[in-house]
Amino acid sequence: MPSTASLRTRVESALGEQLSSTLLLREKAGLLTVSTGVPVLDALTGGLPRGALSEITGPASSGRTGVMLAALAGATRREEACALVDASDNFDPASGAAAGVDLDRLLWVRCSERNRSSLLKNQRHTVLERLEQVLKVTDLLLQGGGFGMVVLDLGDIPPASARRVPLTSWFRFRRVVEPTATVLLVVEQEACAKTCASLAVRLQRVTMCAHNAAPVTEREFHGWKVLSRTQPAIPPANMVSHAALLQGMQLRAEVQRSWTQRKPMHSVGTDFEMRTAW
Amino acid sequence: MFACIYIPDFPVAAIIRAELLLRDRAVAVLEGTLPQVRVAALNHNARLLGMEIGMTKMQATIFAASSEESTAAAKAGSKRTPSQIDLASRPVKPQTTLNSAVLRQRSPAQEDSTHAALLDVAHAFTPRVEDTHPDRLLLDLEGLERLYGPTVTMARELASRVSAVGLECNVCVTANPDAAMHGACGFSGITVIPTGEEARRLGVLPIAVLLDSLDITCSKTRTPAVTREREKLREQMLDTLERWGVRDFRTLALLPEHALASRLGEAGTHLQRLARGAGMRTLALCEPPIQFKEAMELESAVETLEPLLFLLNRLLDQLCARLEARALAVQELKMRLQLEPRVADEQTTTLPELAATQKASRLPARRDGNFYASTLRLPVAMRDPKVFLKLLQLDLAAHPPGAPVCKLWLEAEPAPPRSAQCGLFLPVTPEAERLEITLARITGVVGERRAGIAKLLDTHRPNAFRMERFVAQPAADNINSGPTLSKTAEIPPLALRIFRPSRPIRVQLAEGHPSKLTALIRDTSGGELQGKILWSAGPWCSSGDWWAEQPASKNTTEDERTWSREEWDIALAHDDGRGVALYRIYRDAGTGDWFVDASYD
Repeated sequence: MPSTASLRTRVESALGEQLSSTLLLREKAGLLTVSTGVPVLDALTGGLPRGALSEITGPASSGRTGVMLAALAGATRREEACALVDASDNFDPASGAAAGVDLDRLLWVRCSERNRSSLLKNQRHTVLERLEQVLKVTDLLLQGGGFGMVVLDLGDIPPASARRVPLTSWFRFRRVVEPTATVLLVVEQEACAKTCASLAVRLQRVTMCAHNAAPVTEREFHGWKVLSRTQPAIPPANMVSHAALLQGMQLRAEVQRSWTQRKPMHSVGTDFEMRTAW
Repeated sequence: MFACIYIPDFPVAAIIRAELLLRDRAVAVLEGTLPQVRVAALNHNARLLGMEIGMTKMQATIFAASSEESTAAAKAGSKRTPSQIDLASRPVKPQTTLNSAVLRQRSPAQEDSTHAALLDVAHAFTPRVEDTHPDRLLLDLEGLERLYGPTVTMARELASRVSAVGLECNVCVTANPDAAMHGACGFSGITVIPTGEEARRLGVLPIAVLLDSLDITCSKTRTPAVTREREKLREQMLDTLERWGVRDFRTLALLPEHALASRLGEAGTHLQRLARGAGMRTLALCEPPIQFKEAMELESAVETLEPLLFLLNRLLDQLCARLEARALAVQELKMRLQLEPRVADEQTTTLPELAATQKASRLPARRDGNFYASTLRLPVAMRDPKVFLKLLQLDLAAHPPGAPVCKLWLEAEPAPPRSAQCGLFLPVTPEAERLEITLARITGVVGERRAGIAKLLDTHRPNAFRMERFVAQPAADNINSGPTLSKTAEIPPLALRIFRPSRPIRVQLAEGHPSKLTALIRDTSGGELQGKILWSAGPWCSSGDWWAEQPASKNTTEDERTWSREEWDIALAHDDGRGVALYRIYRDAGTGDWFVDASYD
């Protein structure tokens, strides 16, 4: 009775070089990660994995865009080419530059309605048209290759519409990006990629910090605190005067899915601060 | 040593270079205007059919038609099975080379391109080149043995390089330029004549070869009057030599020198010296061409994109082969198409009517009359015809010419090829060629000027930037000089999400502060922008460009208008239960209207 090893040797020699790697068990290498640009989030998540799909979710004014810009700033600082597929044409280049993004290394794709006249007729179709553009452009960018980070900004796309993106599209993106060193990051209101995402982080706002001439007070509305802080009567000369009162936000991040932990996922969270550029 | 490159039947070769399918067919090139259209050049297959130079178009058409019939009969005969063949009759011999003749109009543009390609090949071989005639070049090979090897190897290399640009040539290498030219015109293929053997080897050539080349070398000015005069003198000389029984080089070389000089003068002695292969002269060197232009004239206009791309592919191949011969690449590619005149243009319409018609039909700005022009500006020099073809395809698909194409030109702006040092630890960057195609495809999806890099403008105007082309590897000193305030991202900055365009809203004020907000149009993101303002800060007034003269027209862009606004930062509690979000709203001080500018995120 021949042993398994000898049988395998005979089969492999019979197949020759045609199927040399068929019978070998491929050990899946650990994912390389890059910094999110926020040290607290890095400590929480381990960083954004290369060759995988990551999601940052949260409602409006929850710091998604700030985290996205911090990640892009880190990538461009590493002199990688980055792409931002902007579904709603919301990106503010001044905010990007303030966050440290090297705009020369960022390909900004602004999705739009090709036919403006249809905008007023059916707004739902408009959103779907933008989503279709996002999927096409992402396909092209991932197939073209060479980008260190590709970001899909679906932050202002309604969750109901974002959920209409077929799971096969996310699966295709994951497969395309898998053998590459690209970080595929999706920013949205609610997680859509399901199991195709290697990392999902949900952000929530906790507190809004504001300078105010009034004494320190604490107001709370809808579970969100406005923390007033005193400020000098005359702001510094380099401070942008028109926004001197808004200082920043306190946010909470929660890991919903991570490639580092097996199921069932134990949700962990942390708090961090986000300040205005001024 | 000198080499001569000669292209037999040059006008036909120029046509075949653009249409490779004609290579095995009989081709006749017509020249002149009706009714004086005559055959100007033929290839070997056309001569075998019995066609001659000088035939009228009608005669050539009859030859072409009869050859088509014979070809059809030959095909029918060859398709018969043995049982169907009438044994009493002779089976029709299938004709493989004598296919139906093709008539083409002479194309000066294509001949110029072919001549330029020939010059490119010659200049890539040696800088000492004489542009003797469109169909022949003389090259000085002195000192090139160490580079290319022996003379025979050099001759083969030359023929190979000429073949690479789509031309079949004769190459002759001898010790003097005129003998090389006669050898190339008289012998097909590659000929190497050792020094001292010129008279013996050239002796078999017909005297017409000598008179042809003499005419070419003597007359640099090619006005019609001079050409006619030279033609007349050539005919007289040929007639005289014919009457003397001089039909080849050898007979002329053996004639008594003094007697020949007394009868034909200095021209006679010169001819005899050339026939003996003894003439020596210096080459009139020419500069390499600086224009890389290819053209193609079509017999019938092309209406769809696919056949047009087929033709463009051929032109691009030729262009890239020429650039490769000169070790250059393309920085800018210009395409120009001549379109068939529209029916509206042929009618007698006044200019305003025509302008109104064009405006109504939304003709592309790239079109100027019956010409369509497009330019591909490449961020890095490239030389891959497939990349250019794909870019042209995407460009034409996005901006169709709008009329059938009857003539096309391609012109390349040459540049030194890109050199890149690869490394294992370099950052990830897209490949330049693939990136260009990807960007062109993305532009096709999202529209013009919607993909690129954002350049911040030096102004306080909100949301002021311009889109520029994305380049994979910007130079180190090309760092964007934006207002980078927080380079170290220990604490990430709060970012803005701009609404483009700003959304009109209605704002209720209480004690001078915004207290309630209602959107005037429905939000595309699904939720209603409506609710109670819980917190506000402002107003922060800003204005600009009020010092500049304002154009009165309504067509002024947003970047040209005066702006004056009062900004508020607000915390809005949405009525639809989406919670609280931070927004930046502003009141236009000019009109008094309120808008939502951005949200903080």
